[in-house]
Amino acid sequence: MGELEDRRTAVSEARFESLLDTAADGIIVIDDTGRMLVFNKICERLFGYTAQEAIGQNVSLIMPPEFSTYHDRFMHNYHRTGERRIIGIGREVSGMHRDGTVFPLELSVGEAKTTDGRQYIGVLRDLRSRRAVEQRVSQLQAQVVHMTRLSAMDEMGAAMAHELNQPLTALLLYLQAVARQVKACHADAKPPSDKMLDVLDKAVLEAERASHIVQRMRQMVEKRDPERATVDLREVVNEALDLSEFVAQGATVTIRRVFGMAPIHVDADATQIQQIILNLLRNALEVAKESEERWVKVSIGSDDRSAFVSVTDSGPGFSEEVGKSLFRTFSTTKKSGMGLGLAISRAIAQNHGGDLMADPGGNGQGATFTLMLPMHRSDEAEDDTWG
Amino acid sequence: MYIIVEDDPSVADALESLLSGAGLPVRVFASAEDFIHSASLTPDDTMIVDLGLPGMSGGELVRHLEKAGATPKVIAISGKSSRTIARETEGLSDVKILRKPPAADWLEAITA
Ligand SMILES: Nc1ncnc2c1ncn2[C@@H]1O[C@H](COP(=O)(O)OP(=O)(O)OP(=O)(O)O)[C@@H](O)[C@H]1O
Ligand SMILES: [Mg+2]
Repeated sequence: MGELEDRRTAVSEARFESLLDTAADGIIVIDDTGRMLVFNKICERLFGYTAQEAIGQNVSLIMPPEFSTYHDRFMHNYHRTGERRIIGIGREVSGMHRDGTVFPLELSVGEAKTTDGRQYIGVLRDLRSRRAVEQRVSQLQAQVVHMTRLSAMDEMGAAMAHELNQPLTALLLYLQAVARQVKACHADAKPPSDKMLDVLDKAVLEAERASHIVQRMRQMVEKRDPERATVDLREVVNEALDLSEFVAQGATVTIRRVFGMAPIHVDADATQIQQIILNLLRNALEVAKESEERWVKVSIGSDDRSAFVSVTDSGPGFSEEVGKSLFRTFSTTKKSGMGLGLAISRAIAQNHGGDLMADPGGNGQGATFTLMLPMHRSDEAEDDTWG
Repeated sequence: MYIIVEDDPSVADALESLLSGAGLPVRVFASAEDFIHSASLTPDDTMIVDLGLPGMSGGELVRHLEKAGATPKVIAISGKSSRTIARETEGLSDVKILRKPPAADWLEAITA
């Protein structure tokens, strides 16, 4: 090696050193036996050893004991098989400070073949501050969720009391009426009349009305885990429409289906999706019934990322005012409505990674509600092997 | 005559069953407007009125009748909070309140 060569090496080494020491990340170089060759300033701060102390020692010095055995095995394994577990990938690992504190690190490893054999360059980033931020954010999120849930429960309690009041009032009054008549019959030693049975039947209906309200409320709070499967959206929707046509037998609103020929696969809980369709359909039928043309159109389509189901009706659409609170729980313009249909439906859609959107229509156009769901992706190219 | 002004058909029907079951004469109206257009009161009528009627409210109806000089016995029914009820019946002279759902026998309360 000539003098010039030496000087060049010296210069580049000096540059390398200063680069190392101005780097924002910890940088370590080890040889193929795990011995540390480079230990920069940031590493000194991270681990509490000086470069002088660290260099020459095995890298297990700065790992928690349970990791250091793995590390030896990994390196051994890599040399034997060439199978990469970490090189070129980067992952989260634990480091250990001189005082024994264990902390999370992001580690990226590069490999260099030198005249002195294989060397590995590790770039280390302390994850503690990011962790703290993440934790704070998730704490805040939890708080917000909790608060909105509390206020939703407040609202729910009020709405529930309000909704249950009417059927309970009617129910109790029917029972009071029957009780009086039974007593009167008793006194006169007469058998109970058919009229009493009528009143009892009505009482049962009111009790059912009350329990129906409780059931709907339950659907709202009980977030059961969806049972996802890959399904053809056309079949799911078809079933829902058949069901509602069966229920609405004799109704005079025409339901038009605009479906394509090809299956549209989505990953979804079929029952929950049908619940959305039925809610949309019920709203649409209610307004279509009062309209001149009396039809509801249900169409299904897709692009390469999303599937869509649109429900349009021959009704008048809705005003900007109504549009503002459309998806809010308990917002309704109907006397007997609870204002839950759209709120529940949107929650389900979003749970599926989709959404529910509304076009107000107006000027002779009915409203259109569109359910969007992500398409099933056939073979997601994600295999989990390292390197 | 007992006059029921209640927009919820089940509640109206149940009240009617209770009163007519006891042999009392009853007429039912679904709104304040319906009642004003089609009936008049005599002093010994009893009116049972829901405070939360759509359109003209129960409170407004009673006020309207008081202004017109007809002051029957009025029983107001409501499912709202006591504060709301107090606000809705403010300034009304002599109104008995029954709260939904009933906690006691309404026939006794109405005929008392
Ligand atoms: N197809 C439609 N055309 C016009 N307005 C609509 C339509 N669908 C919904 N709306 C409006 O949106 C409101 C909220 O609908 P949502 O389904 O959430 O509750 P609801 O139908 O009133 O009660 P529920 O579904 O709980 O019985 C309705 O009250 C109505 O004003
Ligand atoms: Mg609805």
